[in-house]
Amino acid sequence: MAISESKTPEKKVRMKRSIIDCDVHHLAPVSAIKDNLPRFYRDQIDLWGWRLPGPIYLNGGVQGLTVDSTPPDGSNPTGGRGDMEYLRTQHMDPFNVEYGILTGSDYSFQASPDPDYAAALCSALNDYTIEHWTSKDSRLKGSAFIAKQDPLLAAKEIDRIGSHPDMVQVIVASGAEKPYGNRFYHPIYEACVRHNLPFNIHVLTEGLGINTGPTGAGYVTYYPEYRAARPQVMMAHLASFIFEGVFEKFPTLKVVLQEAGAFWIAPFLWKLDADWKSLRFQTPWVKKAPSEYFRSNVRVTSQPIEAPPSTELFQQMMKAVYADECMMYCSDFPHWDFDSPLLTFPKLDDATWERIFYQNAADLYELPARRIEQGGTQV
Amino acid sequence: MNRFLVGMASEIPEGSKKIIQAEGRSVGIYNIEGQYYALRNTCPHQGAELCSGITASYITSNGPGDFAYEREGELVRCPWHQWEFDIKTGCMITDPKMRTKTYDVTVERYDVSVEENQLYVHI
Ligand code: FES
Repeated sequence: MAISESKTPEKKVRMKRSIIDCDVHHLAPVSAIKDNLPRFYRDQIDLWGWRLPGPIYLNGGVQGLTVDSTPPDGSNPTGGRGDMEYLRTQHMDPFNVEYGILTGSDYSFQASPDPDYAAALCSALNDYTIEHWTSKDSRLKGSAFIAKQDPLLAAKEIDRIGSHPDMVQVIVASGAEKPYGNRFYHPIYEACVRHNLPFNIHVLTEGLGINTGPTGAGYVTYYPEYRAARPQVMMAHLASFIFEGVFEKFPTLKVVLQEAGAFWIAPFLWKLDADWKSLRFQTPWVKKAPSEYFRSNVRVTSQPIEAPPSTELFQQMMKAVYADECMMYCSDFPHWDFDSPLLTFPKLDDATWERIFYQNAADLYELPARRIEQGGTQV
Repeated sequence: MNRFLVGMASEIPEGSKKIIQAEGRSVGIYNIEGQYYALRNTCPHQGAELCSGITASYITSNGPGDFAYEREGELVRCPWHQWEFDIKTGCMITDPKMRTKTYDVTVERYDVSVEENQLYVHI
């Protein structure tokens, strides 16, 4: 028996300068959008249920969430306390988040074999996010879900919702049938470029439904292995973008790698660069060294940042992944492996801090400079 | 050292805890088998409120599929990244050098006619 005397603590604003948080999970479960679906899918759900592959088969925390995001009555509905009030009082206000990029809470449709159904769910979820979230707090910006199972349907959704001022990127799960550089997906990138939207790959649904296994060596047993496998999946996507020539075909396309960590990128780019030197003639459309494409077209969010054993090594790794240009801070709130903006990074020099905690994201998502009362220059 | 009144001993029955404010610090007082322990309510990792985490046991194993529970209720798992800390020492389980502060707790026993014992934490 535990006495829960720990009433919700009053957090004071501790961040002096405001920040942009690139991965804020808001409560947007498919169960909330049934009424927004076409009649056929409503009927089908009544008859057979949601017909969606389950969530990952393990997690950390309490159902994947920090313990302090569990409501006081102990109930912890899937998606937990992603509600607006909780997000504001426990995260946006105390950490002085100037903008939070919303990334949803339920990606199960990203593993469904039924592309029409997945597309219908995406449209309904996108509308839900605008109606219930971004229109209620101007600090919040949305990510448009697409049915990557069918790139033409996906492009249609990007055309439908992509110019909404509150939608700042397109989002997919990292679990996929083919690596994302494949020409199969190019209609998606045409649409992203048309609407000037970054394409964000967020870890989830690897090894589920129609998606390939979580590792090239098959399925893993325990959650730490599953987490360890995420960079493998992201590596496949990154190499695919580069060697399929996506960034030559779509030079303005920006790709965001989210939640697979960041420092694995350094030796991976060294390897890609070395191999490109030897094998360039196999893929002659790849005009620049892979690391150059990374710098110009790819961004990586920080959480869950690896923890090198010393600050010195940390700084070197930051340099090696071009953090000044390419890294954007994110918290993953309210998930259990949340990275606090105050304590995750060792002390960074001012200019680097500014790039990572604000400017790189502001540039990518075309968000205004921070307001003057937030330590910025804009009046 | 200052002492702060935590409350009546009966407010924290065995296996439970109470979080109090003392000198601007948040402190969690635990009752493990009738003994009281006090921990600084701040995780040395990223600063979460450590004592709002789950009170847990120390789970050990001889190999995959085998799980043994020891030291029932003597660990707290941080509410954020679930690092485990020994409530009695404040030390992190996997890296004892990493620790949160611990404090002494005393129980003032009064006259038998007074029913409740008063609990103090010393900071
Ligand atoms: S803040 Fe406690 S484990 Fe990370």
